[in-house]
Amino acid sequence: MKPASTTKITLALLTLALLAGCSEAPESQPAPSLRTYVHAMDGAPATLDPGQASNLYANTLVINLYDTLYRYRYLARPYELAPNLAADLPTVSEDGLTLTIRLKPGVRFIDDPAFPGGVGREVIAQDVVYSLLRHFDPESRAQGAWLWRDRLVGLDDWKEAGADYDTPPEGLRALDDHTLQLTLTRPYPQIVHTLAQGYAAVVPREAVERYGRELGVRAVGSGPFRLESFDRSRAVLVRNDAYRQEPVDLAAEGFDPSRDGDLGLEHIEGRAPPFMDRIEVEFIAEDAARWNSYYAGETHFIKVPVAQFDQVLASRSPATLAPELLAEHRFDAAPEAGFVYTSFNMADPNLGHHPDPAQAERNRALRCAMVKAFDWDRRNAQFYGDMGQVFPGVIPPVVPEFDAGLDRASVTRDLEEARALLREHGWTAENLPELGYGFPSSVTERQLFEQFRSFMGDIGYPADKLRPQVYATFGDYYRAYSQGEVGLITTGWTLDYPDAENTLQLFYGPNASPGANNGSFRDETFDALYEEAAVLEPSAERTRLFAAMNQRVIDECAAITGLTRSLLLLWNRDLVMRPDRAFVGGYAFRFVDRRPQPEP
Amino acid sequence: MRPLRLLSSLLKRLGYGLALMLGVTLLSFTLMVQFGPDKTFELLGKNPTGEQIAEVRRELGYDRPFIVRYGAWLGSLVRGDLGASDTTGEAVAPLLARALPVTLALVLPGYLVGNLFGLLLGMLAAWHRGGAWDRLVLGGSVAGLSLSFLVIIILLQILLSTPYGLDLFPTRGWRVTDLSSYLHYVTVPTLALIGVTLGYNTRFYRAIVLEELGREHIRTARAFGATGREVLFVHVLRNGLVPIVTRLLYSIPLVVVSGSLLLETYFGIPGVGKITFDAMTSGDQPVLLAVVTLTAVGFVAVQVLADTACRMADPRMAQS
Repeated sequence: MKPASTTKITLALLTLALLAGCSEAPESQPAPSLRTYVHAMDGAPATLDPGQASNLYANTLVINLYDTLYRYRYLARPYELAPNLAADLPTVSEDGLTLTIRLKPGVRFIDDPAFPGGVGREVIAQDVVYSLLRHFDPESRAQGAWLWRDRLVGLDDWKEAGADYDTPPEGLRALDDHTLQLTLTRPYPQIVHTLAQGYAAVVPREAVERYGRELGVRAVGSGPFRLESFDRSRAVLVRNDAYRQEPVDLAAEGFDPSRDGDLGLEHIEGRAPPFMDRIEVEFIAEDAARWNSYYAGETHFIKVPVAQFDQVLASRSPATLAPELLAEHRFDAAPEAGFVYTSFNMADPNLGHHPDPAQAERNRALRCAMVKAFDWDRRNAQFYGDMGQVFPGVIPPVVPEFDAGLDRASVTRDLEEARALLREHGWTAENLPELGYGFPSSVTERQLFEQFRSFMGDIGYPADKLRPQVYATFGDYYRAYSQGEVGLITTGWTLDYPDAENTLQLFYGPNASPGANNGSFRDETFDALYEEAAVLEPSAERTRLFAAMNQRVIDECAAITGLTRSLLLLWNRDLVMRPDRAFVGGYAFRFVDRRPQPEP
Repeated sequence: MRPLRLLSSLLKRLGYGLALMLGVTLLSFTLMVQFGPDKTFELLGKNPTGEQIAEVRRELGYDRPFIVRYGAWLGSLVRGDLGASDTTGEAVAPLLARALPVTLALVLPGYLVGNLFGLLLGMLAAWHRGGAWDRLVLGGSVAGLSLSFLVIIILLQILLSTPYGLDLFPTRGWRVTDLSSYLHYVTVPTLALIGVTLGYNTRFYRAIVLEELGREHIRTARAFGATGREVLFVHVLRNGLVPIVTRLLYSIPLVVVSGSLLLETYFGIPGVGKITFDAMTSGDQPVLLAVVTLTAVGFVAVQVLADTACRMADPRMAQS
């Protein structure tokens, strides 16, 4: 072959490559005049079907593409609910069992081929009924049934009877096009929170029937944005020009001048969101790539990786930004809405519940010794940039019921006491049980395990009796601990809604594996308290019951808990925004704006 | 070459190919079903009931016997139906059809330039065997071989795409609409691909050229007064075409899938590699099976193509 021929062939192939790469371009380049906000997330949603909005990533997008009846006020902390598609907060009957919700009239779905003539129709109460019922339809793969199961009258029977959408259950009815009625089996104080989640986003039946499972890569909603493109690398949202005009009232959104005064938020006062023409969400799982992308100015917001804390912060307590970043960036060090903890598998008779009271007490001593041996300060320093908040129990700092004055003995390392507990209850290196510590395959998870093993080594727990159980994916790990195959279950919990009930249910007996009570903790006292509190509206009495439940978890040493990580959020100073990375935080997108540029 | 003989050879190859594909699909299906991730719990909500677990397993087909599942999947495959992703619900065929051009556009420049440079450096080193050029090229190759792909990617990204370095190219993404944007997005991944493959390519081509240079026909050509350029580019290259073509063609499926896997994942490029990586980490069996099957098809096609090309390059093979 002559060199000239080789060159020609190479050039031809390169041209072909270019054509191939361009031909399927899924989206247009934004016009320079468009106002674009580029948001980086450290993970990608698997699907955009509201029925499967099970994680932060999916929820963040879904609540911007679809409408929910309620949302959270932009700036209010603790979180406060506000009407969204609903005209107002629900009207509740005297017995607390019937909620009547009025919908705003004139709200329309976006235009889509799923509708006759391709023109979006009005969102009506029947759509809300349909969207909630999908969670009980075995064909839909929806995942939110746990929020409403056994809570709405007739819902479970409706599923048993064949899930006919044309005959909705008694507890979920559209009284007319703009009135919805929910009838509860018992008081459910968190019901309005559940209606602010992506799971409760309103989907038109026509779109589900037309696109089937492909609804996961499309979006036919009535939210502030429309979906332009979506893959596992990025999603592009563009402004829904037909979105209802609702001017911002900063005071109503919870504006606090002492906290938010320098963010430039007054610029959005009285104007109707959404403000940006286009929102690009980049899914960048790799920390270094995410940081490089932000530092190069390609993204406007980042949750700073722990490895970059030293570079970004001048001081950690209080957190202050490095001087060289002050001119172009803003930051916020906010606690996550959740916590990390390690559950003991209480179904394992070597460690947890035991029919013999004496052995049960020995097991409790063993668990308490392990709790005492755990060094939260070192865990915090080595893995969370020394910025996490260690707290006793399972009521994390982000919820109103958090008690900052709670005794910290359960999170304070005390090797002497731990060794004494083992000794007094006859535990020796020879008879300590062999335990599996599960984790999905990753370097960090392995390091967490090794650190745990070293902590336990300090009280004489033989290293070979704490063995790693590594799983290829989180799904496999989830399956394993849900089936009781893991002795020590290290995981994190992100709050679905800002209410301590959501974390306390992690220890409620009927929620035992495969439920969220992954350690299968069963305690009659705890369960009775939980059932008593579950029907109460937020009140001093409910807070007292929550505190008692929290103390039961601590006293029974049901888990090594807990730590709320600090999220260091960094964003471009030109943007007017208060970012939020909580499960419910995606509502902030519609309020993002760009600071007006001075006239040239 | 007689056309009938060529046809017969092609048919024989295709027959082998079909058997190979059947074996590959059976093996990959077995591995994924027996050892692959279980997707049930990823698709369940919190606090699932036993009934819900059973429903999801039924939806995923986990409750059916292995042979029934394999038969059903094979039947769909024969009908050209690759199924739908267990993760997004999107049909697999359009998903891959959208991703493949992106991957080709991404890896082709690196693949071509990497092989071209590898060939030229291999020729240079072989021509100066034992000399300074040879040692320099071999040293460089070993250095290239020693660096991990990820390290090369991160280094290039920092050097070329961030304010820490030259800040000339985007750190990631794929917003290609014209030649200019294509060059903007493809340059750093291409350099990374060249960086990781150049060492291997150079050593391979050096060995080929060295072998050819030791043959009698080269000595004869030199005796006839052929210049160095003629010897290398005409006599060596033409006679070394068989292993070169074989390597070039056989590496295509590997480059498309495995080569793009890290590149696309790290640079956030929505190609076949990224889809494969996501399917692996999430246990998306329909997507993984489609990728494995299409890779096997690619190998069979390449095998047939390489066989034909080699017969054309070396008529003695057709006679044998």
